[in-house]
Amino acid sequence: MSLQNVLTNWSQYRKTHEDGGFYDYEHMWGMSVDLNKCTGCNACSVACYAENNLAVVGKEKFDKGQGMHWMRVERYWDEPDLAAGESTEFSEHGGSFLPMMCQQCNAATCEPVCPVAATYHTPDGLNAQVYNRCIGSRYCSNNCPYRLRYFNFYSYYESSWPEPLNMQLNPDLSVRDKGVMEKCTFCVQRIRVAKDTASRENQALVDGDITPACVQTCPTKALVFGDLINTESKLSKLWASHEVELGKTEQHKKNKEKRGYRVFEELNTDPCVMYLERVKEV
Amino acid sequence: MNKYTYCLYNGKRPVSWVSAILLVLALVFSGAGLAEVPNAVPPEGEHKGDDVPQPIHFPHDTHAKINEINCMYCHTYARRSKVAGIPPTSKCMGCHSVIATDSDRIKKLTEYWEKNESPPWKKVHDVPDYVHFTHEKHMKRFLFDNEDMEVERVSEVCAFCHGEVKDMEVANKVKPLNMGFCQRCHEANGGPSDCWACHK
Repeated sequence: MSLQNVLTNWSQYRKTHEDGGFYDYEHMWGMSVDLNKCTGCNACSVACYAENNLAVVGKEKFDKGQGMHWMRVERYWDEPDLAAGESTEFSEHGGSFLPMMCQQCNAATCEPVCPVAATYHTPDGLNAQVYNRCIGSRYCSNNCPYRLRYFNFYSYYESSWPEPLNMQLNPDLSVRDKGVMEKCTFCVQRIRVAKDTASRENQALVDGDITPACVQTCPTKALVFGDLINTESKLSKLWASHEVELGKTEQHKKNKEKRGYRVFEELNTDPCVMYLERVKEV
Repeated sequence: MNKYTYCLYNGKRPVSWVSAILLVLALVFSGAGLAEVPNAVPPEGEHKGDDVPQPIHFPHDTHAKINEINCMYCHTYARRSKVAGIPPTSKCMGCHSVIATDSDRIKKLTEYWEKNESPPWKKVHDVPDYVHFTHEKHMKRFLFDNEDMEVERVSEVCAFCHGEVKDMEVANKVKPLNMGFCQRCHEANGGPSDCWACHK
């Protein structure tokens, strides 16, 4: 019966490719990343490691691409000007950063390929991963265009948190063992606490009640988190001001100067994270 | 076209009169032995838990049944937290500095108290680490938001998942507390069925 529930939710909250509309979401958590403000300091990534019990895998495994950074800062370099004699190695200028966390796509490509329904869409518009249901087929990771799902190839409990470091583990979410896929959850444990607190006080959730670890840590406030359903939230206003809309594969902007864009939106994944383009000096 | 396909096409379930009557009878008789908390369907399922030896043989029956102490007097945090909590030794000593001070158990307790230590109580009801369970929400739904339920009768609500602890001495796990157990109750009482409501 619970599988039936999952399958019902699956079709209920998942935006399908044929149907551009949205369903009865309670919330739709989203984020905005201002690349102009991002200094590439990696504090968000560190905060995520601390908050979400992410395993530190070590240099060798990281080299193999087995790092478990749910929040990673990608680094890009400008193309070297070969005519001017610039080297093709790392250049001294033109570096830019792109913080990448799970985009919480409304039409997530990872969801329909899971053979055991371990990943599904919640009424909060989040792309959920149920660790104890996951069998580790890794289809979802292979189907994610952003490569934002991380697989536990080993059991990291002993190596990553030797005594007494295990005391630092966050009890609000499980420590994943080997053979389980994991991903950014927008700090669902914090969302849960905020909702519980609001219901205890018989009040509705207010914009700003929930702050994921990365947003809380960002020293330049490049990250903004909020509810996209609530049109009064700071995030919704930000999306509107940059003329970025959900449910589109291409943004037709009246003002071409607006910097907002979504990564790979042309693939119709309908991500809930908006990036604000970096303005460069020419 | 046979009967079953007809039902399928009609969008109806093939329920005969006999099975309907049996179902009603089963519901009536199965409900007879359970705690009658208004506006709630208790979860089904029994379990035979192992005996958990505690540092002090704590008699729940003496406290909750004979002396009618409310469960939440000692397990204070149930109403406002995830965990119900084990009372601090000071709470035990609040009464037992004057009551039954000559019994062996209380002498043992006093020893702990004078050493500034708490007795190393063992956990009896434990859910796996990947489960998010909060007492607060369940107390709210079945006790505080339940109009026909007085706070004095809280033990009936506790009995849903912990069994009749007031008839036991040292508490023992008598309900399975597995996913099927939770899910059946959630379906009967309209609890959330979203995976992430309980799994973390």
